[in-house]
Amino acid sequence: MNKQSITQYYRKHRKAIVTATSGLLYGGGWSLGYLTSFEMASAAILVLATIVGGYDIAKTAYHEVTNRTLGIKTLVTLAAIGAIVIGEYWEAAAVVFLFSLGSYLEGRTMRKTRTALQELLEMTPDTATVRRDGELQEVPAREVEEGEVVVVKPGEKIPVDGAVVDGESAVNQAPVTGESAPVHKADGDEVYAGTVNQEGALEIRTTGAGSDTTLERIIRRVEEAQETQSPTESLIDRFAKYYTPAVIALAIGAYAVTQNAILSLTLLVIGCPGALVIGPPVSIVSAIGNAARSGVLMKGGEHLERAGKIDLVAFDKTGTLTKGETTVADVEGFGVAGNEVLSLAATAEKKSEHHLADAIVDAARERPTAATDGGATVAQADDTDAGRQSIPDPDDFDVVAGKGVIAHTDAHEVVVGNRALLDDRDIDVPSQVADYVREREKRGETVVHVVRDGDIIGAIALRDELREAAPGVVAALQDAGIETVMLTGDNERTAAAVAEEVGIDEYRAELLPEDKQSVIEAYQADGHVVAMVGDGINDAPSLATADVGIAMGAAGTDTAIETADMALMADDLERIPYAVTLSKATRWNVLENVGLAVLTVTVLLAGVLTSYVTLASGMLVHEASVLAVILNGMRLLRY
Amino acid sequence: MSDTTQFRVLDFDCPTCASTVERALSNVDGVQHVEVHYATGRVEIEYDDSVADPDAFAQTIESQGYTPQPA
Repeated sequence: MNKQSITQYYRKHRKAIVTATSGLLYGGGWSLGYLTSFEMASAAILVLATIVGGYDIAKTAYHEVTNRTLGIKTLVTLAAIGAIVIGEYWEAAAVVFLFSLGSYLEGRTMRKTRTALQELLEMTPDTATVRRDGELQEVPAREVEEGEVVVVKPGEKIPVDGAVVDGESAVNQAPVTGESAPVHKADGDEVYAGTVNQEGALEIRTTGAGSDTTLERIIRRVEEAQETQSPTESLIDRFAKYYTPAVIALAIGAYAVTQNAILSLTLLVIGCPGALVIGPPVSIVSAIGNAARSGVLMKGGEHLERAGKIDLVAFDKTGTLTKGETTVADVEGFGVAGNEVLSLAATAEKKSEHHLADAIVDAARERPTAATDGGATVAQADDTDAGRQSIPDPDDFDVVAGKGVIAHTDAHEVVVGNRALLDDRDIDVPSQVADYVREREKRGETVVHVVRDGDIIGAIALRDELREAAPGVVAALQDAGIETVMLTGDNERTAAAVAEEVGIDEYRAELLPEDKQSVIEAYQADGHVVAMVGDGINDAPSLATADVGIAMGAAGTDTAIETADMALMADDLERIPYAVTLSKATRWNVLENVGLAVLTVTVLLAGVLTSYVTLASGMLVHEASVLAVILNGMRLLRY
Repeated sequence: MSDTTQFRVLDFDCPTCASTVERALSNVDGVQHVEVHYATGRVEIEYDDSVADPDAFAQTIESQGYTPQPA
């Protein structure tokens, strides 16, 4: 080792070296005094131990005083000086050594909490292979420009955010979304920096690089979340401001009354509310960090504390409990062919943005249509793929919100909609049609009627498949003692069928979007702490109304993250029980830490006032309690 | 012109230590706004780059007994 590397080593491990030296001197000085009669030598060594261990503490204390903050280091310095003045060298050295050891261990364990997120950032590779001027060049990943094409070989990490322009592969998105299963990516699919390309080569057109990637944005948000104080934290901080000065006043008062210097110095030592101020932030930072690594973004300690009280979870049905991919399950013609019903409905629905309309139009395109007899005329199929039908435009078209559409085509009036729309227009529903509708709705399907010139000519049953995970997720929440409710715009029978299939406790059917908010408000009025799970875009108002709004599939969408209190990066319902139980565990953890801290201070105070506790033992218990709350909080990192 | 820089201090050992560093940094010439977070160890400094010397930031943190790392 040369001189420079020794200096470097010393700087890096200064705290450990100082603590160890002070500990050795303390042990030596104590043994000398205890085993021999060299009392002067023993005292000298103990004073040396105090100076070695106390130098850095005193330096920080000096800064605390000049910056007018009253911290524990000021108190420890005062206590150590006081102990030396009254000749209690052993106490002075012990306090300083135990405090150094405690802070060293605290610093080390907190480092783990503080670096938990950094591991995620290290997922992003430093360089990218980019196609420039017709050849492949290796450049720093931060310097890739938007629009440039990056080539990623199998097994490599993706260096930028972008869209696949060539190739096909399975990508492990765990760093961003927390999903363990790889996701298939092909032309046009979005990929994120930091995820791992597992199978085939991919060419990616860059949409964001450097600090402008989804992963970096998520981590910035997570850190902001960790840094915002929860209500418990701000309460304790306000309390701590008065606590320390109060203890100093108590120490001075105690000395004035009892003339017992040890007693007042010990009061100084225990006068810093260590475990109380450290415990809650460690719990919350650990929990938020853990959640982030599992693809759940918690917006902050306040949200987390509220989430810990959730006793009812409301799910939006479409896209949350179901896959949100509605498909046509069945087409029934009443007096006309099914295909004709479908193509007529598709024409009427062609310009509609509704998800049921999309499903009908898609189904009509996929089906071989022979219907030209007065219904939809099949236009030139020049703009469609082989085997796919093109759908003619309607002459005009009106949406009746929440009910259906009314369109004109080929001199016919076509109405596609639910029973409410038929009733509005006094259209007679034959029992044959009503029977069909009832039967399909019992299977959890949604049925629309197709009416031509006032007569029902058919009905289309649409189905939105349940997510495989849905029943398990509902059961897991119920096991955790949480009520579950499904909110849907579907009619009563469809909703009942889906609710039964999922095993959910309750359902509310035929809700308009604004009704969902009032349902949530009603539950809140009943004293429930309500979480609402949705996609964060369509149901943003109900997410905002709920005590805790949980948005799913939020990785790419900033709006969802803005409105929600928690955002699941992946479209992964199974994260919900995890997020809810983690919040509960965090709430308990905070309470445990506060409880432990208060208990410690109470016991210490009682001990000091009855002279059972002196400087050294006071410091030992104080530091032990701080370490205990840190370690307890860190359990949440491995939840 | 106003500029922003960040550090990461992994060895804060008490919340007050973070506030002390925050106060010390805000006394450096040209510093407009400082945030020091105990929980994450993140230090964010907003400063007037015609006045402040960015090297002084790391030195200030070091002089308080902590190790700044570039973030």
